[in-house]
This record gives sequence, structure tokens and C-alpha cells, in this order.
Amino acid sequence: MDDEPIVRWYWIGDHLGYLGNLLADHAVIALLPVLIGLLLAVPLGLACARFPRLYQPLSAVFNIVYALPSLAVFVVLIPYTGLATQATVMIPLTFYALAVLLPTTVDGLHAVPDSVRQAATAMGYGPWHRLTTVELPAAVPYLIAGLRVAAVSSISLASVGALVGRGGLGYLFVDGFQRTFPTPIVAGIVLIAVLALAVDLLLVGARRLLAPWAVREKGAGS
Amino acid sequence: MITFEGAGKRHPDGTIAVEGLDLEVPTGRITVLVGPSGCGKTTLLRMVNRMVEPTSGRVLLDGTDVAQLEPAKLRRGIGYVIQQAGLFPHRKVIDNIATVPYLLGWDRKEARARAAELLELVGLAPETAKRYPFQLSGGQQQRVGVARALAADPPVLLMDEPFSAVDPVVRAGLQEELLRLQSELHKTVLFVTHDIEEAVRLGDQVVVLREHGRIAQLADPHTLLTTPADDGVAAFLGRDRGLRGLGLRPASAVALRPVGDGLRYGGWELALDDAGRPIGWIDRTAVSAELHPAAGFRPETDTLRTALDAVVLSPAGVAVALDGDGRATGTASRDAILAALTPTGATAVGGIDANADESSDTNVGTGPDANAGAKADAKTTVSTRKALAADGTGEAGTTDRVGGPEGSDGGR
Ligand SMILES: Nc1ncnc2c1ncn2[C@@H]1O[C@H](COP(=O)(O)OP(=O)(O)OP(=O)(O)O)[C@@H](O)[C@H]1O
Ligand SMILES: [Mg+2]
Repeated sequence: MDDEPIVRWYWIGDHLGYLGNLLADHAVIALLPVLIGLLLAVPLGLACARFPRLYQPLSAVFNIVYALPSLAVFVVLIPYTGLATQATVMIPLTFYALAVLLPTTVDGLHAVPDSVRQAATAMGYGPWHRLTTVELPAAVPYLIAGLRVAAVSSISLASVGALVGRGGLGYLFVDGFQRTFPTPIVAGIVLIAVLALAVDLLLVGARRLLAPWAVREKGAGS
Repeated sequence: MITFEGAGKRHPDGTIAVEGLDLEVPTGRITVLVGPSGCGKTTLLRMVNRMVEPTSGRVLLDGTDVAQLEPAKLRRGIGYVIQQAGLFPHRKVIDNIATVPYLLGWDRKEARARAAELLELVGLAPETAKRYPFQLSGGQQQRVGVARALAADPPVLLMDEPFSAVDPVVRAGLQEELLRLQSELHKTVLFVTHDIEEAVRLGDQVVVLREHGRIAQLADPHTLLTTPADDGVAAFLGRDRGLRGLGLRPASAVALRPVGDGLRYGGWELALDDAGRPIGWIDRTAVSAELHPAAGFRPETDTLRTALDAVVLSPAGVAVALDGDGRATGTASRDAILAALTPTGATAVGGIDANADESSDTNVGTGPDANAGAKADAKTTVSTRKALAADGTGEAGTTDRVGGPEGSDGGR
């Protein structure tokens, strides 16, 4: 790579359409699992808040899943989902997203001050009714903080999927490395960073819109 | 009426919170539960709306055992106010207040109109409606909490140390506001506090509790302060209970010397401006005509405690009686005030009664007193209360002005 420049601009110019396709592919592979994770985390989180005994075993399971190296999980799944299918990459990513989102959901539901919970009960809310109409809306800032972490790490993890055939922008790394040609690698890094930043900004905007009452950075980083 | 019949609560871990309590909480009155921390006040309160189920005995609401009522339905008919207000952080003030009407299935518009009414009733500005709870001061949040509890017009109100988390000035404003509301609404109020001052100020009857919810004394505030049941209650009431009792009696009992009869007391002379408002005391025996501040009280609205305070503050030992515009209507010497302090003095009692009768027409709803012996005392309390409430509108306004800018600067 010694006399090869870091970026050859003409290559980027020639491959704009190709890069665009990879970016779209990457966004779907990385973010669809986060969305599915959210749709699973909310009911599971509500159940854990309602029946606290569920939480310990469930969070243990997801923690273990989270600890597994992503590449190993991809490889293990290949016999069932086939090489180069989106499912091979998206199934583990869904579990990773869930592993982040379940605790943040439960934390958010628990973060409602006790006085609020008691006031709701005293006004005649039943436990489920209270969870869905008081605690869940109040947990939105936590959910969004969790989504920011889950989305960014999913965008980063999805590139590993290129090693098993589907990885969106991750393919640029494999390609560049095999050809000792750094331009696609740089393009991939930049596009991943841009995607992560865009999604993060979108989520911050969503929080402003959905939880205008949470001025402080509630639950950020948790 | 709320009736506790041998009500007790023993927790699964063996802790006895309350044991065999018998108590009647009369309709349309404020009953205050006061006692040391952990004596079971909150437990008692929550037995009424079934947030705590008694393990022995029962609690009746207008003759019906609450255990037979569906909790959600029961609770929507009972207002509940707590120390931390417990407002929903994600809902605007107006929707917080309308919570129970929404739950009862009211039309959205109707519920909001009702909430707006209540906002005004508790003395909050209309623009508060669109704010979120975090944008309000503690005192304002508490007002919203009270408004929310009153939204569906429940006949019963449970209040668990509702004003203990705010500073003393705001607390006094909230207490006056509650008395003003109560004089209009006549709710059956069960109010918990561990502040004896608050208890005697608000209560039609005060229940002093000791551990395990045992009643040490049940009495109207005046009786409680003058004749505590035992040394334990006396100790709980504190050393200055006599002075505190003066805060329950109207200053109108003081015999005044009319302004026309002269303004000289010994070497001191009260100077008035053209409108008849006091400027200060002048020491005629001194060379300089220096003015010393003249402390005054308003016989129609103040209590004997204020009158006594004015006499103590005055260099001449004379308190100046003022009318609503701050004009001097008369003076009261130290002796005149001391005469009014003596509870058995014929002058004092006469003065109190005259005042109570004068003002009772505007206060119909308080109803007759069950206990004839306590009648004079109760009347005294009622008229003082009204006086305090009338005075309180001014003070409450001040509170709001203090709270306003604090709330409007937003992102604290
Ligand atoms: N869930 C519970 N389990 C065991 N003991 C309890 C429980 N709830 C309350 N207690 C005990 O019951 C007693 C009465 O409690 P309660 O909350 O009614 O007191 P309180 O008079 O309201 O006190 P405070 O003034 O501090 O609010 C206390 O000794 C408390 O420790
Ligand atoms: Mg308590």
C-alpha cells in the first residue's frame, strides 16, 4: 500500500450508485433489527415491570447473548439461515438490540417517581393501565437513550456481516483489504460514520418531539 | 362520614402499623391526624381508599364497608394529595388536572373546561395550563395536585402531608388557600401532618396519635391546646401551646380605645397622617421628634397572637387597631390586650360571640356543632379561619408572584 494514496477520488465518483446501494442495504440490515428489538423490548419490559421475577432470568439470557462474539454467532447460524441471507446477520443483531433495549425499558419504567405511581393508583388506575399510560410514556426518554446506543452499535456490528456474505458497507472493507486498495475502506468508514450520525440526530429530534417535558438528558448513557 | 371500626394493619413481616382504631371523620369537616413519624398516619389514610387493606376491623364510607367497593371506582370518588404532588411528568398541567375526569370517560373538551375552572380555583394563572410540571415551583405543583384531586368533585379528600415539602411562606399560603376552598366546598377532609401548628390551624378536629395508631387525644384545636389529655400530648404540643392558641382567636375580642379619645399614652403620642394612618410614635419627653414605628393589627382579620405581637413591638406598649385601608380605628393598651387574652373573661367571650354572629351569615355550610360545650370555641375558630382566609388572598397573591418568574424562566 506504500505508494497507493489513501483516497482515489475518481473511484468514488465512478461508484456513487454502488455506494448508495451498499448504504441502503447497510441501513436496512442494521436498523430493522433495532426496530424489531424495540417492538419486543416494550412488551417484555412491561411484563418485567409488572412481574419483577421475570427480569432476572430474562436479562441474564440477553446478557449472555450479548457477550457472544458476533462473527461466531453468524457462522453458527449459517447452516439454518444459509450463507449470504439477510437473516444470518439480522437475527443476531436483533438479539443484541434487545439486550440493550430491555434493561433501558425496564429502567425507564422504574424511573417514574414513586409519588407518581402512588398518585396514579390513588386515582383508580389498575397496574396494567398505569404501566401503559403513565410509566411507559414517562419512560420514553430512556427508550430513546437506549435506541441511540442500540442503533449506533448495530450500524457498526452490521459490517462484520460482510464476512458471511451480507454486510452492506462492510463489503467495502473486505474488498479494499483483498485488493490492497484503501479507497473503498475509507469510503466505508466515512459512510458508516455518516449513517450513525444521521440516525443519532434523528433520535435526538424524536426525543424533542415525543418528550418535550424531558429537558434534562434523562437516562443518557444507561 | 368515614368510620374506622377497630381497624388494624399488621404487615406480613409482623410490623404492626395500626392496631384496633376507632374513629369517626365527620362529613364536611377537616379532621387532622397528627403524630410522630411511623405512628401509622399514612396507613390509616390509605385504608380509606383501599391502598392498604386492614387486617382487622373495617373502614366504612357513609355506612358502606369500603372492602365491598371496587377499588378503582372507590378511588375515583376520593381525592388524594401527597407530599411530592406526584404529577404526571409527561402531561401538561391542564391534562394532569383532568386525569380523573378522563378516567371517568368525560368528553375531552368538558374535562379540560373543568380543569381550567379548577386551575383558577386553586389560584394559578391560566397560562400555567400549558406548562409541564417540571416548569412549576414546588408550591405551584402542590396547587396543581390539589386541583387534580378536586377535579371530579369527590366528597372525600385524603391529604398526606401535602404541604410539608414547601417552604414556610408558601406553606402558609397553601394552608389559607385550603381553608378558603373548604369554606366553599365543604369536603370531608382527612389531613395528615406532623406539624402541630398546621394541625391546629386547619383542623375542625385534631387527632393526636401515638405508635400503632393509638389515639392519644381527639379534640377541637382550642381544647387541645388549652387542655391536653396528658403529659405526652402536652409535650408533643410544645412549650408555647398557649401562645399558639392565641392564633386561633380573633383580635376583635380586644376592647379598643377610640381614636377620638386621645392618642397619648404617658410620654408617647401616636402621630397620624391626614388620612388617619399612623406614622409612628413620638416620645414627648425627648428633645428630638424622632418617630418610632407603630405596630398595628386588624381586629376584623387578625388573631390575638398578632395583637399581642403588636403590643410587644410597640415602644409605647400600645397596639394600633387598623381598618382595611390602614387607617387607625383605635388603640389597645397592654392591659386591654391582656384582658382579652383571659379566656374566661366576660369581655373576651362577649367580644368573640358578637363577631362570630356578625359574620356567620356568610358561612352557612359549616353546620351546627355536635358538642354544645365546644360551641363557643368552634365559632371562634370558624370566624378566625374566615378572617385568615380573607387575609390569605393577599398573601397567596404574593406567593404567586414569587412563584411566577421562577416558573416562567423554564429550563431549570
Ligand atoms: N409495607 C410495609 N411493611 C412493613 N412495615 C410497614 C410497611 N409499611 C409501613 N410499615 C410500618 O408501619 C408503621 C406505620 O407506617 P406509616 O407509613 O403509616 O407511618 P406514618 O405515621 O405515615 O409515618 P411518617 O410520618 O414517617 O410518614 C411504620 O412503623 C412502618 O415502618
Ligand atoms: Mg406517612
